[in-house]
Amino acid sequence: MFGTQSQRDLSLEFQSQIPILRPSIHTRRANLTVKFQDLYGFTVEGNVDDVNVLNEVREKVRQQGRVWWSLEANKGANWYLQPSISEGIALKSSLKFSALANAITLKRLIRKGIPPVLRPKVWFSLSGAAKKKSTVPESYYNDLIKATEGKVTPATRQIDHDLPRTFPGHPWLDTPEGHAALRRVLVGYSFRDSDVGYCQGLNYVAALLLLVMKTEEDAFWMLAVLLENVLVNDCYTNNLSGCHVEQRVFKDFLAKKCPRIAMHLEAMEFDVSLVATEWFLCLFSKSLPSETTLRVWDILFYEGAKVILHVALAIFKMKEEQLLITHHVGDVISILQRTTHHLFDPEELLTVAFDKIGSMTTNNISKQRKKQEPAVMKELDQRFRRLNSLKLDDK
Amino acid sequence: MARTGNKNIQAKLVLLGDMGTGKTSLVLRFVTGKFLEYQESTIGAAFFTQVLSLNEATIKFDIWDTAGQERYHSLAPMYYRGAAAAVVVYDITSMESFVRAKKWVQELQRQANPTLIMFLAGNKADLEEKRKVGFEEGEQYAKENGLVFLETSAKTAQNVNELFYEIAKKLAKASPSRPTGIKLHSRSQQNSRRMFCCS
Ligand SMILES: Nc1nc2c(ncn2[C@@H]2O[C@H](COP(=O)(O)OP(=O)(O)OP(=O)(O)O)[C@@H](O)[C@H]2O)c(=O)[nH]1
Ligand SMILES: [Mg+2]
Repeated sequence: MFGTQSQRDLSLEFQSQIPILRPSIHTRRANLTVKFQDLYGFTVEGNVDDVNVLNEVREKVRQQGRVWWSLEANKGANWYLQPSISEGIALKSSLKFSALANAITLKRLIRKGIPPVLRPKVWFSLSGAAKKKSTVPESYYNDLIKATEGKVTPATRQIDHDLPRTFPGHPWLDTPEGHAALRRVLVGYSFRDSDVGYCQGLNYVAALLLLVMKTEEDAFWMLAVLLENVLVNDCYTNNLSGCHVEQRVFKDFLAKKCPRIAMHLEAMEFDVSLVATEWFLCLFSKSLPSETTLRVWDILFYEGAKVILHVALAIFKMKEEQLLITHHVGDVISILQRTTHHLFDPEELLTVAFDKIGSMTTNNISKQRKKQEPAVMKELDQRFRRLNSLKLDDK
Repeated sequence: MARTGNKNIQAKLVLLGDMGTGKTSLVLRFVTGKFLEYQESTIGAAFFTQVLSLNEATIKFDIWDTAGQERYHSLAPMYYRGAAAAVVVYDITSMESFVRAKKWVQELQRQANPTLIMFLAGNKADLEEKRKVGFEEGEQYAKENGLVFLETSAKTAQNVNELFYEIAKKLAKASPSRPTGIKLHSRSQQNSRRMFCCS
């Protein structure tokens, strides 16, 4: 358990991580775009309103931190390190009332955000990464990295190519040290799961995991649990079939939850996958501001992959009126991009994602996935055959 | 410059080719005039618009810049469907990327809009000392397959504007008899340098 001393240390570290952003007088006067670094070192461009929003968000993060500390003081430091809700439900009969109450508190608390200093610890245990790691020898990661040293595969070549192309300009990721760490995580994973190998998109995900988790080994296990347990299967393998399935499920839900938008876009022959594919594969890391992305990931690691659907639907929902008056593909894309890039207030997004979109049960989502799978497989298979017949003609 | 009485053509253009061949760099050079030594890899695709004014027509490009990694291949039809023009890009320092480019050409010949205008771009022409694919090789293949061929460099801007001008010219020429993929557009042009990048 944390003593009072260590609690103070944590909150101090926490405070120092969050400087108040003060735009200069000049930028305040004119509504100019200002550039600044956010909490995770990313350069953000926004106007003064955005800066104000970010400052408010930081204040909220601080308050949220205090809620977590006081709960720790009450319930003990590791009160939340228990089976996740989904596991908990299966064990319901054997769960004590207090554990269930904790689970409910925790779900609410996580939707309000995990304080950045606690993220590594909370993510690691609630996602199942800790458990995954505990099933293999202590030296697994180091052995894996040693075994991959000096090996060249198609995956390692692609990874090397993408290292300087992953968030270029970031003060840590874009340094020799950052590249080396990202390389080890991605190469290590490509050897762990040769079906996945390396898929572009994972570079962004792993990079953000590194920034949050602080240690490379923990980032590796988070990546593993994400791909093996949290997300739907085969999102990143071979022909991205899992991603195709998820896109179809998303389209179905859009038609149900936002029928006017779905109809309007369909009439324009705008396929929502054109924009949503990147959201699903990079888990919003290339589209949303970092703290907003990580708030989505807070929930992702606790509640599962349905969060991605919720958030994707919310982005459309938030701009319903604007989207309904578009006539051109370019306008739709520009609205969605302006929206995602400026979503500095996670609350704004998450409120829509959960309150306005309404519930989608895991059961229902699984059913939808099962329904779409055969169609996707058939389509991919037909395509594969067509392409193969091209190759045969070639000879 | 106001040109009265000329055609407004809206055309969908798609870029295809192996990862890292310089698709995004070519589009960015055309749209923003800039080049970055390290360009973020594209996931799914990125969308850009750019307007080119010729004497005979104003072309408004809707550009889909696709992801190059092999496994993203299964997403490509969504992006080339209904395209009026395609640029298949390879990297002159990589034979592998040239082989990939040929596969793209074949696929487009079979699967895409039959009136699709196809260009082949051998990019990174500035890296002469590392060249693996000869100019003649690219030219020859293009000739055999009825493609327009250019060697380009997004880095030095060599042939980049030329590439897009050639495409625009071909589109302008083809437009009256070509209803698919091109929308004749009567709305006036609002903004000629807007850029949307999916990152
Ligand atoms: N020397 C040289 N480098 C180039 C040129 N064009 C692109 N590059 C570099 O090659 C790398 C890849 O360029 P991108 O434009 O991202 O390639 P892409 O085809 O979009 O790659 P994906 O998005 O991964 O499919 C970047 O680091 C560019 O800076 C060029 O003409 N000359
Ligand atoms: Mg690209």
